[in-house]
Amino acid sequence: MAAMACTSAASTALSTPRLAAVKPARSARPVHLTSAFHGQSVASVSQVAGFESSGVKYRSAGRRAVVVCKAADGQTVVIGLAADSGCGKSTFMRRLTSVFGGAASPPKGGNPDSNTLISDTTTVICLDDYHSLDRYGRKEKAVTALDPKANNFDLMYEQVKALKEGKSVEKPIYNHVTGLLDAPETIHPPKILVIEGLHPMFDERVRELLDFSIYLDISDDVKFAWKIQRDMAERGHSLESIKASIAARKPDFDAYIDPQKQYADVVIQVLPTQLIPDDNEGKVLRVRMVMKEGVPFFEPVYLFDEGSTISWIPCGRKLTCSYPGIKFFYGPDTYYGNEVSVLEMDGQFDKLDELIYVESHLSNISTKFYGEITQQMLKHADFPGSNNGTGLFQTICGLKIRSVYERILANQKNAATLQSAKA
Amino acid sequence: MAALTVAMPVAGATMATSVAFVPKGCFSIVAAARMAPIKIKRRLSVVVKASPKEDIKDKIPEAIAEAQKTCEDDPTSAPCAVAWDNVEELTAEAAHQRDRNKANSDPLETYCADNPETDECRTYED
Repeated sequence: MAAMACTSAASTALSTPRLAAVKPARSARPVHLTSAFHGQSVASVSQVAGFESSGVKYRSAGRRAVVVCKAADGQTVVIGLAADSGCGKSTFMRRLTSVFGGAASPPKGGNPDSNTLISDTTTVICLDDYHSLDRYGRKEKAVTALDPKANNFDLMYEQVKALKEGKSVEKPIYNHVTGLLDAPETIHPPKILVIEGLHPMFDERVRELLDFSIYLDISDDVKFAWKIQRDMAERGHSLESIKASIAARKPDFDAYIDPQKQYADVVIQVLPTQLIPDDNEGKVLRVRMVMKEGVPFFEPVYLFDEGSTISWIPCGRKLTCSYPGIKFFYGPDTYYGNEVSVLEMDGQFDKLDELIYVESHLSNISTKFYGEITQQMLKHADFPGSNNGTGLFQTICGLKIRSVYERILANQKNAATLQSAKA
Repeated sequence: MAALTVAMPVAGATMATSVAFVPKGCFSIVAAARMAPIKIKRRLSVVVKASPKEDIKDKIPEAIAEAQKTCEDDPTSAPCAVAWDNVEELTAEAAHQRDRNKANSDPLETYCADNPETDECRTYED
């Protein structure tokens, strides 16, 4: 029976203690533990939960040796996120991992410059680790990091495939501080694998492995405004150098990164606001979530009536908003030849009431209880974008990913029980 | 207890053997460590001294200057793009480090991340 693909690992990163830890309210959510013991028949999956929770109890041992076995049929769900803002530590990632519960942190006891983030259910891999040329190699060959020539797509495909099938891999580490490739680290197959970076959807084979993909599309004006906020504090940087930096990278960006938009299931576009004429501060944003129709296990969010075109300003008699207010739009569209639904938000939230009011009018948001989006946004009120569409749509994406994951899992279980019933 | 730093090459006392003394989690410190053989009570021990890690903030002005120099002749050339790409990588990493330091600034939070079951770290959500 080739069912078991077990790897034995003394891993503190697979923090099993937390699962048995004192957060009793959390047990309401489906606690899928990382050690899924695959026995003779898959029908015992429901009993497995009982086994796991008792097995987890021995957390107090000094050396935690966890045997992680992946059920042969329980495949890892792979999510791709294309973003230009570096890896793994971005706000989007933190919101995402927060939806699943638990904070993601770098692997304990490993290379402190590792780009990987691991939480109870999720592992986030930075695609910069698959650079085939380090900083000096790129300088020599005169290719930017955006160029596919600087990346090893074969290795990326092999390792993502292996992780998806439940095997551990030795993944190289690209050290952003030194610009060199460090010694590899071991990555164990998680329940949810997120690959974040510049080229998650570039290679066709990797694209096939993705169960869900997101592209974060920041418009040039907003990019400029954000980079100013981020980089002006650094010595040596000035407005001109920031402009030059964006302009110099643009050709490669447009040639290699931008075309990935057409393959993404969800594109989050961040544009300057239309509510304030001539705004160039980039504080108030217009955010559009472009959702592809017909993606398995994914239902686009809608306002009021699916498939119709709605323009909605929630501020009025029931809700008072301060300047510049909030404006929503929802409607069908085509995007690079695909049928899509677009949900758009322009403006800012500044009160809790506005947030919960908006949430109560959105449909298909895959929340488990009323107010979950508001709760998630409040939990991370200090993150950038918590008062506008970026935070809202990133949170919704997180919930959608959770729903895709659960539906894939349910689907696999059904397929497996069907198979074992026939056998 | 006087520890003498004796700078004498000891045959066979390879640096590799002292790795066992380095506590877990000091990966990069090992990489940037200087080791000095010392004699304590006639037995040879090796003292590991960590050298300061390269600060990414210092690299940024140099990288910007280099990029500006490279781009003087031809702003659309490939080496120019690569130079600015380097600057972008370094500034992104510096920004991440800043965020991480901000996030790790509360010692209680970092303690509780590892030990959620202790009394100080219990949370009650109902």
